[in-house]
Amino acid sequence: MLARLGWMIHKDLVTEWRARRAWPAMLLLGIVVAALFSLQADLAPSEKHAVASSLLWVAIFFAGMVAIERSFAAERDEGCWDALLLYPIPPGLIYLAKLLANVVALGVLQCVLIPLFAVLADVPLAVHPWALILVAALGNLGIAAVGTLLSALSAGLRQRGSLLVLLVLPLAVPVLLAASEATRLAGEDSLGAAWWQWVQLLAAFALAFSVAGTLLIDVAVED
Amino acid sequence: MERSLRLRTALTTALHVLLAGLLIVAVLAIFVFAPTEETMGQAQRILYLHVSVAWAGLAGFLLMAGAGALYLLRRDLRWDHWAAAAAEVGWLCSTLTLITGSLWAHAAWNTWWTWDPRLTATAVLWAVYCAYLILRSGLEDPHRRARAGAVLAIIGMVDLPMVTMATRWFRGIHPPSPQMEPAMRLALLLSVAAFTGLFGLLVACRRRQLQIQEMLFRLEQDSDM
Repeated sequence: MLARLGWMIHKDLVTEWRARRAWPAMLLLGIVVAALFSLQADLAPSEKHAVASSLLWVAIFFAGMVAIERSFAAERDEGCWDALLLYPIPPGLIYLAKLLANVVALGVLQCVLIPLFAVLADVPLAVHPWALILVAALGNLGIAAVGTLLSALSAGLRQRGSLLVLLVLPLAVPVLLAASEATRLAGEDSLGAAWWQWVQLLAAFALAFSVAGTLLIDVAVED
Repeated sequence: MERSLRLRTALTTALHVLLAGLLIVAVLAIFVFAPTEETMGQAQRILYLHVSVAWAGLAGFLLMAGAGALYLLRRDLRWDHWAAAAAEVGWLCSTLTLITGSLWAHAAWNTWWTWDPRLTATAVLWAVYCAYLILRSGLEDPHRRARAGAVLAIIGMVDLPMVTMATRWFRGIHPPSPQMEPAMRLALLLSVAAFTGLFGLLVACRRRQLQIQEMLFRLEQDSDM
């Protein structure tokens, strides 16, 4: 099972590497949002610290959706979907593979955006590097879990691109809020109880969305 | 057949009259019977309406997700009609919750809106309702629409504990259920009961309408063939 999961993720990453359909657009959108932020927000340093983390997560979300939207739509457009369903694995595993591929995509995006925001907002980046990595990973999982499920659901829809963002955003708001608060608090000198509370909330949402996605994918993809 | 239909009509009419009476009593209780609150004055009476529609908004979401789950299990469009009806009326109640809450906030906190945890969670609930309705409107095939809606409603359930527990889990300014005078509590109970009844009636009417729509659609299809 694990090997098959690995191969599914491998397939998605190799396809993306060869065709470069989604990731360049995703990275560019993220960078443009970051640039707009620093161009437009002429704030005092303390104010910049306060808003940088929330803008960072807004940028991650909107840019990430470019990649997430493709994950099931690409299979349908290229006619690979039926072949994928014939592959002897349960749909839950297809979902997990797509989810993890999207987590990788969001991770790549974060590797660009987090340093970029840190430089532009002049925030100390690595006060608690592990805390920041933990928050980033959990936030990724939360966004990707709900995004992947709904991208499967809306894969056959008209104007699915703009619609998907609209469907995912309300559900992802708690994740984005918790992630941006936890990111902001991870940049402070000492990690307090408040930070831990946000991380717990973030973990709860990431877990709930991943489990719900694995269970609900069966009905989302049947046609 | 004829007799059972007549009995059903009589029962429905009786129920409507009862509900109308309850609504009148509730309105009287809110505006006449309940004492005026000391610090907020007349504006405090918004609370009775606000709590009632907020509760109906939550109940609508629960009904929408529950009926959606039942649809997924049984694959019977009747459950989907319940879910769709609950979503539309629930959306209305959720909108009214935000509006009455905003009026209250202006009177009590001197601001129309603030990002208190419960307010945020309620706004998210409203947005999920909107997403549900938009998703449904984009799908033509009834079973596909029912399935997609059910999935969205079930994941949307994660927001419900956020709304109900927000005042306990986080520090905010939205009051948890306060200690009230008995007369006020009675007015609140009456109002909640009346609006729950109204909510149920609206959902039932809308469900019936959706069911008839579906029957008509089938008949049209059959006559085409």
